[in-house]
Amino acid sequence: MKFIDTSRDRWHTITGEDGPMVTLTPTAYSLLTLIQWNGVRNSWPADMPVGVIFPNDADIEDLVGDLPRLSVVALHFPKWIDGRAYSQARLLRSRFRFAGEVRATGEVLVDMMPLLKRTGFDAAVMRHDQSLDAAERALRFFPGHYQADVNEHRPLFARPPEEAYSNVEDFNQAGSAI
Amino acid sequence: MYQYTSFDKLFVKQRAAQFRDQLERNLAGTLSDDDFRPLRLQNGWYVQRHAPMLRVAVPYGELSSKQLRTLGRIAREFDRGYGHFTTRQNLQYNWIPLTKSADVMEALAAVDMHGIQTSGNCIRNITSDCFAGVAADEIVDPRPYCEILRQWSTLNPEFAFLPRKFKIAVTGAVEDRAAIAWHDIGLQLLKNEAGEIGFKVLVGGGMGRTPVIGTVIRDFLPWQQILVFIEAVVRVYNRYGRRDNMYKARIKILVKAEGQRFIDDVNQEFKNILERDVDGTEQIIPQAEFDRVAACFKLPEGVAPIAGSKLHVPADAPASFKRWTERNVHAHQIAGYRAVTLSLKRTGQAPGDATDSQMELAADLADQFSSGELRVSHDQNLVLPWVKESDLFALWEAARAASFATPNIGLLTDMIACPGGDFCGLANARSIPIAADLTARFDDIDELYDIGDIDLHISGCINSCGHHHSGHIGILGVDKDGKEWYQVSLGGLDGSAISGNASTPGKVIGPSFAAEEVADVIEAVLDTYREQRTAAGERFIDTVKRIGLDPFKTAANAQRRTTAQNA
Repeated sequence: MKFIDTSRDRWHTITGEDGPMVTLTPTAYSLLTLIQWNGVRNSWPADMPVGVIFPNDADIEDLVGDLPRLSVVALHFPKWIDGRAYSQARLLRSRFRFAGEVRATGEVLVDMMPLLKRTGFDAAVMRHDQSLDAAERALRFFPGHYQADVNEHRPLFARPPEEAYSNVEDFNQAGSAI
Repeated sequence: MYQYTSFDKLFVKQRAAQFRDQLERNLAGTLSDDDFRPLRLQNGWYVQRHAPMLRVAVPYGELSSKQLRTLGRIAREFDRGYGHFTTRQNLQYNWIPLTKSADVMEALAAVDMHGIQTSGNCIRNITSDCFAGVAADEIVDPRPYCEILRQWSTLNPEFAFLPRKFKIAVTGAVEDRAAIAWHDIGLQLLKNEAGEIGFKVLVGGGMGRTPVIGTVIRDFLPWQQILVFIEAVVRVYNRYGRRDNMYKARIKILVKAEGQRFIDDVNQEFKNILERDVDGTEQIIPQAEFDRVAACFKLPEGVAPIAGSKLHVPADAPASFKRWTERNVHAHQIAGYRAVTLSLKRTGQAPGDATDSQMELAADLADQFSSGELRVSHDQNLVLPWVKESDLFALWEAARAASFATPNIGLLTDMIACPGGDFCGLANARSIPIAADLTARFDDIDELYDIGDIDLHISGCINSCGHHHSGHIGILGVDKDGKEWYQVSLGGLDGSAISGNASTPGKVIGPSFAAEEVADVIEAVLDTYREQRTAAGERFIDTVKRIGLDPFKTAANAQRRTTAQNA
């Protein structure tokens, strides 16, 4: 999981005084709202890196045609207990084979990390009050899981016994000591 | 019983470690109470009226004597010496301080127990028939399927924050003793003409403010595909279920609102998973995995058919033993064996409650008479599933000494009741005093027998934990002007045989009654039944169906004293 410090991140949103700007000039590493993207998608230069911030109440299927052009899809948690973006991420990875960055934005908390990682997020912008240490620890409690996920395509029952645990080394170092 | 593997044991232990980390951050002030709340809920920790409540998962209601002893010890050492068995086959404690919660989770983990997903907006503990694996009318033993579903639902990362809670019930018998039509997903195991096993799948049942009976979405789904199909259902729900209003957030509202479109969406999603997802077909359950899990549910050691055995009641046996064999002893699929219900419905204790020493005694009875195994029933009793017919008399004497032998199973005083306003922070009114009034008023066993088979269900609020919608008589606590009132409904059906194998919500018989009127109202309703029934054989619910609600309304309204003055 890549923890993003927005002040150092090369990806940037394009916001004016009244919120996201509607007319914009393409610049590299722009992270556009879906409305912005829909306005410029036909004219965006093919070689200019772009990402889209996708709302959690829209159908992720609608983005499928654009995925080859996107480097980042930022999925949104308006509240951290609103779990719709987990399904969006899972579909992006497992169904649509999206290989770019899937970034968690909005109210992103330490204790969401295992869920984010397993549903296909590989980057997170945590809420400002969250601890990086606690987030890294949260990723290490479980050396293995029952279900398949985007990182391990086989459920426990389909794995040979010696592969039951996926991150057992991490676990030996950290999780069990707590 | 399912035997935990080293993986299962480590998993539960690490869940306890994860919870301790969260608790410590909360106590240190780095995890706010608001952010901690959903985390502790998914480990079974509610904050209640007096103290946190802990709900311990009893997967599909199966318990070992060792586990029950530990539950008793926790009641004694951390609580005030008792616990409450729920309609979802779980156990609740009411008085454990939150600061001790991590210690309790570790004590539970030591006997392969936990509170994972017993609360919160996630897939809850999976429930089943309390006679699973022993019922005489069983078509397919549901327990291996329940266990596979338990594993699939445990910490499923995509479905940890659904719009609302999600409950799955599974049955594999002719009679539905798991009220499957009242669940978010109800599964009925059956065999097709070729003898293949599959599921009839119902979706969108539920109680609460808007009682809804589940809709059949598949008549026969091959068992190997069940995880894929449930994933499709829950994914459609996670994406499209309402999140703007918690009273409209259950899947039943989505199913009602969308109708056929919901069914089409699920079927399309099911197809997409199998045909398009990188890992879709990996979730088809292999025969080897089924066999591994099913091997845990083979007959307990020493249990084998006993030729020539039959339930023998000596002519000089006490009448109470005969009655106990009629009410508390149930048919079994192995010749010479019976399942026996230990009644947790008796004077002086709330329905479903057991003290620490009663839990230990029940564990002893399980060791002595039932291969060390027990079940928690949906009706809030304990069941011993493996009792030899030749041991029944000895068991009866031992159960009587432990106050477990009230011969009232299926009768009026075998009522379902939630903890209500005495404990629950959500309740509008108390349930336990109403249950106590009724238990005291109908303490004559002859009268109970004369009234016969009946389901009486009490909920302290519209959340319906006491299943009032599905009671032949339902009592619902409501709050008006800060006082406790009770709505009475008749004709609810939970899907069981005495409910005619049908499910339907009861109908309210009029404005709510004052607390002190309730027992009179119930008595008047029952008197009306006894006057109106065609023969001693006609059950209460059948009389209600035949003559309608009016005679009962008239009798109930005649009991109004407080409410008449206020009208």
